[in-house]
Amino acid sequence: MQDKQFMKETLLQSAHAYKSGKMDRRTFLALCGASGVAMTAVMAGDAKAAADHIVMWNWGGVSEECHGKAIGEPFEEKTGMGMQFDTSGPLEGKIREMVDSGNVTADVCDADLFNAVSLGPTGHLEPIDYDIVSKERTLPQYALEHGVSIILYGYAFVYDTEMYGDNPPQSWADFYDTENFPGTRALYKWAKGSLESALMADAVAGDELYPLDMERALTKVKSIKDDSIYWGSGSEVHSMCISGEASMAIIWQNRGKNIEEDTEGRYKLVNNQAMAMPGAYIVPKGNPAGREAVMKFIATAQEVPSQLMILDCLGMTPSNPEAFSEIPEEQQPYAITSEQNIDKIVYNDPVWWGENGSEAVNAFLEAIS
Amino acid sequence: MQALTRHISPGWLLVAPFFLVVVAFYLGPLANILWLSVTDPEPGLGNYEKLVENDALARILWTTFRTCAITTVFSVGIGYCLAYAMVHAHQKNQNVMLTLLLISFWISVLVRTFAWLMLLGHNGLVNNGMEAIGLIDRPVRFMRNELGVLIGMVHYMVPYAVLPLMANMQTLDPRVMAASRNLGASGVQTFRRIYLPLTIPGIVASSLLVFILSLGFYVTPAILGGGKVLMVAEYISVQLLVTLQWGTAAMLGTLMLIGVLALLWIMSRFMQLSAVFGGGATR
Repeated sequence: MQDKQFMKETLLQSAHAYKSGKMDRRTFLALCGASGVAMTAVMAGDAKAAADHIVMWNWGGVSEECHGKAIGEPFEEKTGMGMQFDTSGPLEGKIREMVDSGNVTADVCDADLFNAVSLGPTGHLEPIDYDIVSKERTLPQYALEHGVSIILYGYAFVYDTEMYGDNPPQSWADFYDTENFPGTRALYKWAKGSLESALMADAVAGDELYPLDMERALTKVKSIKDDSIYWGSGSEVHSMCISGEASMAIIWQNRGKNIEEDTEGRYKLVNNQAMAMPGAYIVPKGNPAGREAVMKFIATAQEVPSQLMILDCLGMTPSNPEAFSEIPEEQQPYAITSEQNIDKIVYNDPVWWGENGSEAVNAFLEAIS
Repeated sequence: MQALTRHISPGWLLVAPFFLVVVAFYLGPLANILWLSVTDPEPGLGNYEKLVENDALARILWTTFRTCAITTVFSVGIGYCLAYAMVHAHQKNQNVMLTLLLISFWISVLVRTFAWLMLLGHNGLVNNGMEAIGLIDRPVRFMRNELGVLIGMVHYMVPYAVLPLMANMQTLDPRVMAASRNLGASGVQTFRRIYLPLTIPGIVASSLLVFILSLGFYVTPAILGGGKVLMVAEYISVQLLVTLQWGTAAMLGTLMLIGVLALLWIMSRFMQLSAVFGGGATR
């Protein structure tokens, strides 16, 4: 691991040196050969490919392919720069550690907008350059100093139609009503969505959620504690539904679509009162490709074709209002900002989460354990 | 130089490189954790005060301790029976038993955890089977609660309990037991008054091993506990990666370290630790 890292950096340095003429071609090729990393780059005769690319730090899986196709390809066409991936998952703690250690290897993180609020003021992020990135191509409240929302994902819920066939749950109030809707609920362990849904179930209006009344939310969550289980990852809640363990589950709306398909319609997604979460791109301070290049990359991701391709590939909903009207027919029920859904949803406040998220997550964990 | 060698044995020079490596790469980071626990987010004992102020932390520690203690009791209990059977089995059977034990020992914790979900989960083999023969009309909740965590942890820990116990039992002289029977003791008496006392070092060693390893359990409680069984290891990782309260994480880490060391120290008051860890002959 360390060796690979070292080789990567050596190669990066030498490619820069080669480009600026400080190193001759033969030495550079020898280095490439020795490291065995960039053979393709060498064979293409293009030293730039080794040095000038954007490294996206995301969660891997199918998103690697999707991000490459939706953003990487048009970006390469425009700028000639490639795209690579670090799929270890940009958690806040890891970003902080990376920047503090002075060894920044990622250019852009596929993160949450609240990360921008908590990591920005401490100097761990590059500010977004709104001369290159467009403020109009995202929702107005989601263009922040250190991060910009590229996609939206939603916290909605699915229910088991075999369990509640004639009288399906329609809202968060039903979700928390274990008397009229008996059965096990699955909630998100890291508090997001779970807290908001509890407040909405307790008759708080969707546009008056913030600042969250933690006590009220936790009381509501605790009231269904005996009937609830908690999930930490998308695959976990997926299996909870497939096995019939959870009769209702809070879920990301794109994952809800997968569950509908995998259970052949036994589980059904409810987007009423779904909460839109701004997924954002943030840039670690001192990113290797430089600030301008990465801002161009982010601007590419905002364009309508890229946005629609991400929707098609990952099920993440566009945040660029220009793309809302172009959401294809079959995605309408699942996309959170489609014409069908946009009037029914509520919006997450990343500023509140950035400032209070740590305490909220801990309080939630302590309440459910 | 001669003055120096008079006071310090030259043998230390040979050890010095290893000693320095340990200091630099093991004790150094450890000291850093200690340091972090009293300096982040601000200097002082604020992180440790949380232990008193925040009853949730105390509850998490109690959950951890309780889960580990129960795991230890069951693992060592089951392990004792297994080790006893293996030591007294025919050599050929013993090899087969050891192989089976080691196979389960080598399977990843993740695989074993998910295997339990498939067996005992909501739609698992056991629940489906019992429903099919009409024993129950709705699935029993084995998993996603404390019971699930305990099942998963005990299963994982049994091989760790068996190995030290077996090593201990193999060193016992069978003639002692024969002498006891010869002097008129019944089988139960011989076991209770001769065999069991002789295996106490083995029991202590495997209990310590199992308990200390259980303290660090992370995957099993997270998956089988359904989010409701929060143990220290998972809480520490949340503080490090999600909520960025590194001070709290360092404090809990320090606490765990001190706890383990204290445990070893208490044990050392009652018996020679070297005997527990296989150095019995050097007494």
